[in-house]
Amino acid sequence: MDDPRRPATAAWLLSTPALVLTALFALMPSFHLLVAAFLPVNGSTPTMTNFEALLDSKLAMQAFWRTLRVATATTVLTIIAGYPLALVLRKAKPRLAAIILVLVIFPLMVSVVVRVYGWLVILGPSGIVNKSLIDLGVIAKPLALIHNEIGIVIGETQLLLPYMVLSLVAVLQKVDPYLEEAALSLGANPIVTFLRVVLPISLPGLMSGILLVFSLAMTAFATPLLIGGPRVPLMTTLLYTYVFTSFNWAGAAAVAVVLVILALAFVTAQRLVTEAGLKRHG
Amino acid sequence: MADAALSRSLTTLAWRCGRGAFALYVLFWLLFLVAPIVIIVVVSFTGANYMLFPPPGFSLKWFAEVASLSWFRTALASSLIIATVSTTIAVVIGTLAARALARHRFRGRVVVEYVVLSPLILPAVVLGFALFNALVLLRMENLGLPNLIAGHVLITLPFVTRSVWAAMAGTDIALEEAAYSLGADPRTTFWRVVLPTARPSSIAGAILAFTYSFNDITISIFLTGPSATTLPVQVMANIEYSADPTPAAVSTVMVGLTLVFFLLIERTVGLKIFTER
Repeated sequence: MDDPRRPATAAWLLSTPALVLTALFALMPSFHLLVAAFLPVNGSTPTMTNFEALLDSKLAMQAFWRTLRVATATTVLTIIAGYPLALVLRKAKPRLAAIILVLVIFPLMVSVVVRVYGWLVILGPSGIVNKSLIDLGVIAKPLALIHNEIGIVIGETQLLLPYMVLSLVAVLQKVDPYLEEAALSLGANPIVTFLRVVLPISLPGLMSGILLVFSLAMTAFATPLLIGGPRVPLMTTLLYTYVFTSFNWAGAAAVAVVLVILALAFVTAQRLVTEAGLKRHG
Repeated sequence: MADAALSRSLTTLAWRCGRGAFALYVLFWLLFLVAPIVIIVVVSFTGANYMLFPPPGFSLKWFAEVASLSWFRTALASSLIIATVSTTIAVVIGTLAARALARHRFRGRVVVEYVVLSPLILPAVVLGFALFNALVLLRMENLGLPNLIAGHVLITLPFVTRSVWAAMAGTDIALEEAAYSLGADPRTTFWRVVLPTARPSSIAGAILAFTYSFNDITISIFLTGPSATTLPVQVMANIEYSADPTPAAVSTVMVGLTLVFFLLIERTVGLKIFTER
């Protein structure tokens, strides 16, 4: 294991600053939160009181199920939108592919706040969508597209679609084009070729895209805060409300623990999928 | 015979229509991706005193307005300071850790990997709240800039470490071996061989980390206070409380800066750093 020319002590020395900083700013505070979640407000013996309070709170339970619903809907939409985009990226001529890639990646770098703001202008009661529909006479009164789950799902889909596309592109570029040509020249039509050749090879990428998008959708914050608002809380925005509005920090710590457990579960699943994918393709 | 020809041309027509519909469908989603950004940028050039799309007329008056706002200048300055300092810390410390992860085989390597990358695994709201909670306990929550920098190191460090690590793992170890065998000591090898070969991807990683720090909202919102705040936090507050296009103009400035960083990455290493795993 240890290479004499690259000693372990050197490796530890090199890693120490990063380890210390991360431990100080991330791990110790998080661990403290974990402990706080199991302590009652004025007690010192660990209990499940804070979690029981969450289970008893209608708002918290609604937030939990809403989080799962929104994350599921967002993931489904990113697949429906992302798979065709990834296929086009793979087939398009270099020039067109470069343009599409810019349109996919640039939004990823733009601040979430700006993107959510854009959705408020588009989806709000006097926004572009409602104004156009009213002007066209399709509807009489504006549709409720913000302050509800629909708006959050639209915002999160725009937020996370690039991740799905990039996960798929990463595997699709490994599909041997000759394999497809072989299927086509043997008489399979393009749809059959896609279903029998391209789709199976892309499954690991699709799976890791699903896990990535779902976990990011569950932990998204600015989108549900600005589009949903405090009346339509997800788990992340509930935590924020507990901290800054109702000052229920024990409750916030319990929500944080639930979020961390979910995040760890998804990271483990993703790791397993990646390893399975690597094994299959050498 | 005629039937066969007809059915063949019908099939071709069906394929063409299908392809056309598919192209429109993909175009719709591309528009969906850029729509919110484009609309904010367009609205910020409006001549009107309220948010309206399409704008009734164009002017630069909201940018003039923004330039005269003291909160804009203060928040822009703090955002740039926070992103610069945290990225610099991350580049120095992350490069060292990346070197250990890329070239050393040692017991506990997985531990180092998981600890250093843990801020990417833990949800950002949890990190923000955890750090805020710890600072309150230490009565340090009003320090302002240092707190924000500490929080932003959590965004930039794992990011930089990962990209430098990938860059170093992708370089040829034979180059290093050659340097050693020609008599270079480890330090010279690191500065003259290891770093230069990993440089382009590392720089791209640092630019990305800077951008994410500059645009972050989730961690910043827990750590801002009266003494220091960031541009995204200010924009967020203004979206909620003002109906005029001021926040749109600030957003356009942010989009413009992000575009500069995006082009820098595109010109230096290309967009392949996003698609290669």
